[in-house]
Amino acid sequence: MRSPFRPGVVPDAAVLDDHRPLIRSLERRSLIRGGFSLGALVMLTGCDVRRPEAVESALLAISRFNDTVQAWLFDPNKLAPTYPASMILRPPKFNAYYDVTQVKPVNGNSWRLEVSGLVSDKRSWTLSDLQALPQTSIVIKHICVEGWSYIGGWTGVPLRVFLERVGADLRAKYVAFKTADDYPSSIDMASALHPQTLLALQYGGETLADPFGFPMRLRMAVKLGYKNPKWVTAIEVTNSYTGGYWESLGFPWFAGI
Amino acid sequence: MVRGDLSDMRPLSLAFACSLLAVAAHAQSATPGGMPPPPGMSLAQSAAMRFPQPVRVGSLIGRDVLRPVESQDVLGRVRRVIRDQNGQIMVVVDFGGFLGFGSRPIAVPVDAMVLLGRDMEIVALTPDQLRQFPTFSPAGATDVPDDTMIKVGLAKPSH
Repeated sequence: MRSPFRPGVVPDAAVLDDHRPLIRSLERRSLIRGGFSLGALVMLTGCDVRRPEAVESALLAISRFNDTVQAWLFDPNKLAPTYPASMILRPPKFNAYYDVTQVKPVNGNSWRLEVSGLVSDKRSWTLSDLQALPQTSIVIKHICVEGWSYIGGWTGVPLRVFLERVGADLRAKYVAFKTADDYPSSIDMASALHPQTLLALQYGGETLADPFGFPMRLRMAVKLGYKNPKWVTAIEVTNSYTGGYWESLGFPWFAGI
Repeated sequence: MVRGDLSDMRPLSLAFACSLLAVAAHAQSATPGGMPPPPGMSLAQSAAMRFPQPVRVGSLIGRDVLRPVESQDVLGRVRRVIRDQNGQIMVVVDFGGFLGFGSRPIAVPVDAMVLLGRDMEIVALTPDQLRQFPTFSPAGATDVPDDTMIKVGLAKPSH
């Protein structure tokens, strides 16, 4: 018998096919994918799933809404858990949007860190300039959106110290990063000023190895792994949203833990 | 009438949609990890391309050994690290079996393997090739002491 709850007119099932790449990019478990039924899509879009751009814009609007909620929930004074140095995984786990064989090591002698945007001192920095700033060590968990994690020990300059040193406008919205491997990233100012956000120069008490971002990478305890760009070459303080590599492919921007 | 933007959504459907998106993310790979070495390249050459990193031998014992595919099947577990008669460092892996029963030790060249966080992976040999390996015999092999540092290549996760 036909279900009394079945609507008289149903959308074309081909709508799901139209959005297959988008849905796949958002999946985490096949269970969740199963949850992405035609019915859920209908609810997402106010019952007009025939227009593909409507679905995509609705999904992105919800992602932005989630970002706003996460930013509102973020407590700038709350510290992430730390661990004893004996738990540091040596070497750490490698990950990037390409395999390790494609890593292009950066020459630490010619490397410069460019600083731009809402700062009073735009001079670029050498590695020894950064090494001369106050250093902090933390042992924190790296948590990847893919579901794995490991405990790592990082030493470097707190980003807050660096931003104060270059006279950054700490009321600006964003701190944006560029890297040698073309992996742009950006974070909110509150997370940038968090005490467990470092411009990391060392891992496990030794100079960062090439695959892990030598000479300098961002390492923060309050965001997922993909918000930690390696081989950083430029920092910009800005009020303009610049997004990031995975964010442009639909990943959440705030990505807090 | 323009439909489909956030303002059209009733609170209930918004909440439901949020719950879907809250867990919906997957860092998919633009290029896969743990690819086998190109044809004709020696194991040592291919390992050198994977940025070998120092690792303490004792920390390798007991690690899961995975297959470099999306499902990351567990092929076995590291039992010991030895130097064979030729001085080559080999990782003795308890290979195969089911739920810990029926596995047998085989010696895999360390250059055929990579570190993957807390796990290891065999990137240069297929399971079919590994099944042809003879069962490891300790004759002529010497254990590498636990506090020795050896270098092992890396790979990104295969999922």
